[in-house]
Formats: sequence, C-alpha cells, structure tokens
Amino acid sequence: MEKWDVVVVGGGPGGSYAAKTAAEAGLKTVFFERGRKSGEKNSSGCGLGQRWWRDFPELMSELQELPSVRKIEMVVINLIDEHDRLRYRCGTTGSDLCANRWPHGMDGISIYRRDLDPFLAGKAVAAGAELRTSTLISDVLMEGGKVTGVKTEKGEPIGAEVVIAADGAMSTMARKAGMRNRWGGGCTLVPQLDFGCNEQKMDDIIGNAEWCWFGPLYGTYQVNFRDGFHIGAGQWLRDDWDEKPLDMMKKVVSIPGFQAMCRAIEAKPREYQAHLLPWLKKPPKTYMAGMMLAGDAAGFPCPLEAEGIWHAVVSGREAANTAAWAISRGDTSEKALAEYERRWRASNLGKEHEFGEEFVNLWNSSIFDPKLMARQIQLLLEFSMLHPFSIVFDWGDAHMDCFNQHLEHLMDLAPEFGEFGKTYIAPLGRGIWPKNVKRILATVKPRVPGLRRLSDENFFKVVARLSKGLAPFLDPAAKQDAPLPREAYGAGGR
Amino acid sequence: MSEIELDFFELVKRVDTDKMGDFISYDREKCNGCGLCSFVCSFNLWAVKQGKAKLAVRYQELCVECAACWEVCEPGAIDFSYPAGGTGVVIEYG
Repeated sequence: MEKWDVVVVGGGPGGSYAAKTAAEAGLKTVFFERGRKSGEKNSSGCGLGQRWWRDFPELMSELQELPSVRKIEMVVINLIDEHDRLRYRCGTTGSDLCANRWPHGMDGISIYRRDLDPFLAGKAVAAGAELRTSTLISDVLMEGGKVTGVKTEKGEPIGAEVVIAADGAMSTMARKAGMRNRWGGGCTLVPQLDFGCNEQKMDDIIGNAEWCWFGPLYGTYQVNFRDGFHIGAGQWLRDDWDEKPLDMMKKVVSIPGFQAMCRAIEAKPREYQAHLLPWLKKPPKTYMAGMMLAGDAAGFPCPLEAEGIWHAVVSGREAANTAAWAISRGDTSEKALAEYERRWRASNLGKEHEFGEEFVNLWNSSIFDPKLMARQIQLLLEFSMLHPFSIVFDWGDAHMDCFNQHLEHLMDLAPEFGEFGKTYIAPLGRGIWPKNVKRILATVKPRVPGLRRLSDENFFKVVARLSKGLAPFLDPAAKQDAPLPREAYGAGGR
Repeated sequence: MSEIELDFFELVKRVDTDKMGDFISYDREKCNGCGLCSFVCSFNLWAVKQGKAKLAVRYQELCVECAACWEVCEPGAIDFSYPAGGTGVVIEYG
C-alpha cells in the first residue's frame, strides 16, 4: 500500500493550500481532485478581500494578474420594492481607514474559480506535493477508531499519517469516518447563474464593484468578473419557503432594473451551477484521530456573509501546520490533533466565528425569513428616506415637514421592529470594544448634570454601578481592543 | 415577463455522462414522502407519488451534483456520493 505523510482530499483552495503548506514543511504529501482539474467542480461568489493581502501576501501579485480578475472597490446595493421598482441604490465603500488598512491600496478582487483553484493547486505542486486529478476518494481507512488513510473509488487503499479532508460541504470523509452526517439545519443551497458580458461596457457601467439585489422575496449577490458576472441566491434549506430555490433566481432575472443592466452590458446567460454552503452558528468538531477537516467540510464559511474561500485557505494552512507538528512528535491521536482546533480558534478565522451565533441569528430572523423579508425591505427603504440626500430630494412637502413625516412613519414601524432589535441587534453590542464604549460615554459626560465634573475614571465607575449592561465594558480588567467574552457580557445582565 | 431566456438544461455542461455511475441511492423504506427533495431540486429529478419519492431514471443527465436532496432528507432515505472522478458536471465559470 502506498504510504504518505499527509493525504489531502480535495483540490480546491483549502486542499491545495494545505498540500502546499505540508509539502513546504517537508512532508510527503499527495492531494486528490475529483474533477479533471482543480476548480472544475466548484462554484462560489469568489470575491477576495483585503485580508488576503494580510494573510497570503506571497500569492497576491501573481493572483491579481489572472485573466478573470476584476478589481473591487465598492459594493453596490440595489433595493427593489414590492412593485419590482428599483427604489434605492447605495454603496458600501472604503473610508480612509479601509483604503489604508493594508499597504496594497486595493480593496479586493473577484476571480473565477477556474483561475483561482488551478493557481493554488499549482503552488502546491511547485512546493513538492503530488496532485492526482480525476480521482474520487470514496472512503476512509480506519483502524481502532483512527483514520489511517483513504480509499479511491477503484478500491485502492492509500495510507497516511494524517488525512486532511477538504472535500467540500458534503464531506464524504467526515461522513465515512463517522464525524457527522447531514448538517441538519444551518446549510444553505446556492443556485448560481453566470452571464457573459461585454467587458468594455462592464468597465463603463458596473465599474470596480460587486452588486447586490434585495427585494421583498430575494437577496442576491452579483459578483462581477472581468467579462462576466454571476448572481447567486443563497437559501436556507428549511420548509417555510414557498418558492423553489430556482424560482427565486428567476424572480431576480425578471426585475426590470436587472434586465436594464443586462441590456446595457450585453449580458447573456452562460452557465448554471448549484452548491451546498454550510452557514453555521459554530463549526462542529473539526478533528479526530488521524484526520482534520478544512474549509466547507468543517463548516467554516463566515457566519456573517458566508464567504468561505479565505476560511478554507486559512484552515488548510492551520491543518497542515498541525499535521507537521503532530507528525514530528510521532503522535497523531485525537488528543494531539485537538491542537488544530486551538490553532484555528486563535487565528483570524476563529475571531470571525466568535460571533457566529449572533450573526446567524440576525440573518435567520431577517432577510432569510421569507415572512419578515418583505417588511425588512420596507424598513430599509424607510430608513433611507432619512438619508440627507433623500430628504433634500423629497419634494412632497416643505423639507422640514417631509423630514418629520418620515420620522413619524418610521416611529410607527418601530414597535414591529423593536422586538427584532432587542433580540437580534442588541446582542451584537458585545462586540463593541470597551475603549470605544468609553469614548462614547466620555462624549456624553459633559451633558450629565452633577456628574460632568467627575474625572472620566470616576464617571465610568458611577455608570458601571448604574448600568448592569455597561458595567462589563467599564471593568478595568476588560481587554480594551477586543470584544467582551460571551460570559462576561451575559454576566452584565442582558 | 422576463426578456432573458433561461434554458437551464442548456446552461449546464457535462462530460462522460455514461461513465458517472450511480451516485444517488434511495431507500424507499425510509422515505416519509415529505417531498423536500423534490422542492429543492433544480431539475425536478424527484417526484412524490403515493407518499413516496421517486428519482428520475436517467438522473445523471440532469443532476447538477449539488447534493441538496441528501441534505434535506430528514429520515436519511437519500444517500449521495459523487460521480466517478473526471465525469459529470464541468463548471467553467464558477
């Protein structure tokens, strides 16, 4: 039987980066891809943000030269009302802070997987890992509860000191090894429709931006590439939807504003894809004796926006580093590989998952709840009426009257959304850094009669006594530039 | 009415569909007839008749390999592996 130090299952970004890292650590490494080449079986939104330049600087200058790349400098949000009219278009874009956070001066790129995945696989091969394509791994080899290798679809056994399973949302490896079965809730289905476009017109009309479309019954991302884009409409696989996933996509395509855009950039449907995407409050156990899970297989996609490629690559790197560490100690038991979980939790990936429960609850109960969604869009449109530009251009009445009428209307809606805010928005308050809470309070102090002469320090002491909710933020022992731990916040009485 | 023509069948590319093998298996005994498999399938490959789901005979020619039917099957009647390596759906613009 063949014997390797590390067998990686999956030649997507997580698998390839794991293989690259393992090979660079001097481990005899093989990785398997079921497609004829990496990327051939993968679909995703695939926008790479600033954190890529922070975490993988060695890749970026080459990566951003690949053919399908479009620079991304903002996200355009299109809000559609119940009559299919485009009513509000706004953008999330960079402040000085964003532009200067990392020295590359770029916000991000979109790239097709047919460029990204083979590029990363190539890096692994260059580092000395062996890539076997068109090979489906269909089972694990186990001895006494420990994973000792894998089996190809043809029944060929392949031994390994450590297996890294980066085999996607359905993870045959995790299932065959008995780590889990279906996700059983918390998994989404993402149908995706790709369009080919006129590149010059995309440059002129779309620009360096991702787009999104939100309407009463759909939320859709539009990822823009050099000469094409795709839309994707993630949907939780649960039974309170009355629209089939594909119908939601058809609905977006039928929006007049969307069709106008398609006309303008000469967009023609080019490909349809669908994939599962875990969107979890917290990843389940990610290791067992002899095996670690990386990327989607581990349930790592971001609990806020479900981007999973950076998460796959970071977890692949951590898994391979853990494998190198464990193999060098001659111990790949479950206890030893628990080190993997410690490492990814301590990484930027772990930080992102610290608010998993709050983020997922927020989405689950807002735009991913078909009943609430229509109302949420109404509320967002109403909020947008208080935007300075909206007030300037509301010519229904005298400007100050317009402002007051909208304010009044918003307050009419407030009770309906108050409970929502209390249940789903307020828990996110835990994430505000204590030093920022103090800065806000310090600006309030001069307006509080009787307390305005206190030193900041004494003022905070009084506030902490008066407010159980604020006390944990004002505890002198609290770390100043990190979210409060869940326990500390709970102890604050919320 | 949409002016964009969508022929979803034409929009999926596949290679060697005759070599894909059987990658969806179904246990009629376990099926509770809930119909979620049929609901999530992009190409209507599942139909529920007389309280039991039924998979299209030549599903390999239409399946997009998303595995949603497996994920939603509460009683575990549907099992999904992948088609043989190098066969089936080919994604060019993923």
